[in-house]
Amino acid sequence: MTLQKLLAELQNFYILSISSILGIFRRSLKWRDVLEQMDYAGSGSFFIVFLVSLFIGMALSLQISTELAPLGLKMYTAKIVGISIIREIGPVAIALSYAGRVGSGMASELGSMILSHQVDMLRVYGADPMIRLVTPRVLSSAVMLPILTAIGDAISLAGGYYIAVAVSHQSGAFYWSQIGNELNFHNILSGLTKPFIFGYLIACISCTVGLSTRGGAQGLRRATTTAVVLSTIMIIVVDFLLTQVLFFILGMRA
Amino acid sequence: MIEFQDVTIIYNGRPVMDRVSFTAQFHEKIAILGSSGAGKTTILKLIVGLDQPDSGRILIDGTDISALTEAELRDIRMNFSIVFQEGALFDSLSVRDNVAFCLWEREKAPEEVIESTVKSLLNRVGIEDAMYLMPDQLSGGMQRRVAIARSLAGCRPRMMLYDEPTSGLDPLTDATICDLINELSSGDPTKRTGLIIVTHDVPDAIKVAERFMYLRNGRIQFDGGLETLKSTQDAELIKFIKDIL
Repeated sequence: MTLQKLLAELQNFYILSISSILGIFRRSLKWRDVLEQMDYAGSGSFFIVFLVSLFIGMALSLQISTELAPLGLKMYTAKIVGISIIREIGPVAIALSYAGRVGSGMASELGSMILSHQVDMLRVYGADPMIRLVTPRVLSSAVMLPILTAIGDAISLAGGYYIAVAVSHQSGAFYWSQIGNELNFHNILSGLTKPFIFGYLIACISCTVGLSTRGGAQGLRRATTTAVVLSTIMIIVVDFLLTQVLFFILGMRA
Repeated sequence: MIEFQDVTIIYNGRPVMDRVSFTAQFHEKIAILGSSGAGKTTILKLIVGLDQPDSGRILIDGTDISALTEAELRDIRMNFSIVFQEGALFDSLSVRDNVAFCLWEREKAPEEVIESTVKSLLNRVGIEDAMYLMPDQLSGGMQRRVAIARSLAGCRPRMMLYDEPTSGLDPLTDATICDLINELSSGDPTKRTGLIIVTHDVPDAIKVAERFMYLRNGRIQFDGGLETLKSTQDAELIKFIKDIL
């Protein structure tokens, strides 16, 4: 990719990111489109979020209790599982699953609409593709990913509870009391801010890539792959940056 | 009137259109012929402002549309209806909603008007039974007919633009689509709805058009009527139109 093309792509991403937000305030936004996208992104992703979260929670609880048991510290399992899941692993793992399912779907759907001239037809009929296609997707992602993350966190913690009680023979009541202590403002803010930003960025990346699809089936494959790869890298990098920013805002120190 | 003045488009360093110039009246019936990749579809997209030229000007009724915004292009686009190759139906909407789309977007028509208009248009193109089907449940020919019905809904185009409307169809459906195209552009030759059809199917072009342009290497190599076309001395063009000679 030449520097000129790269800059053009970045400019498209920047314009789309801003326009998609401004689109929320336009009267031509169809809320039915937003609800349809929320249904696809939210309810459609529930099963994958359930599986990913459950097994991550169980694996994490197993690892931590196994390491802490010889030190006589396994009562801290819930605390460590709680912090890891709520602040870090939950938002990142669910965002990665979401990018794989919903982000790739957005890129391929929009790419297919470009290749079959459906986006051209929207423009011919005076409908703004930004309002009809992009804003509903961006809005639904920014709303649904935090909700999915909250649900996923709860499932992970339940998975961790099962391992802590059934395998590590800890007290269930103590596990939940430790988790309860971690459900404070700082952790919840951190755990829900990240998926909100991730959802917004995954949708913006996927829509930008989808709408710039060229070159038939091969171009569609390239667009879908690019959307998932860029979203994955973005999630990891932005997670680190957001952690730094949130630590600074909340006055927490390493 | 449509005017192309030295329109050039360069893609990946290669001129897709190289200083193309022509004028056309809205009531004319024009076929743009050429091989795949000759830039035929690009001409249609330029006319409705979906693509922009790298240089040159495109005038619609004297207005240079090359520098207009999407909002400003809306009025220009009201002059045209476009039927893309394979229909370009919105695959998330039913046939009814596809045809009604323009009525929602442009006319903001009430539901009862939409219902009756859609029924009458689908009846006109002979597929009223398909009203509640989804595009993927239709055959290729039915999709083109729905696309034509949609292009007529809610607007009174001065010119129809067809992008390979018969490609990939069986001979019977092909003939039906050509009849439909002719029916929509019939009437007084100075007042009728004109058409531009881009195709590499020369026999079909002859069925619906009166003026022919041949596009090669990004340039218009031929522009004239049927008799002139048949008597061309251009060796490449003779090869292209051998089916009608």
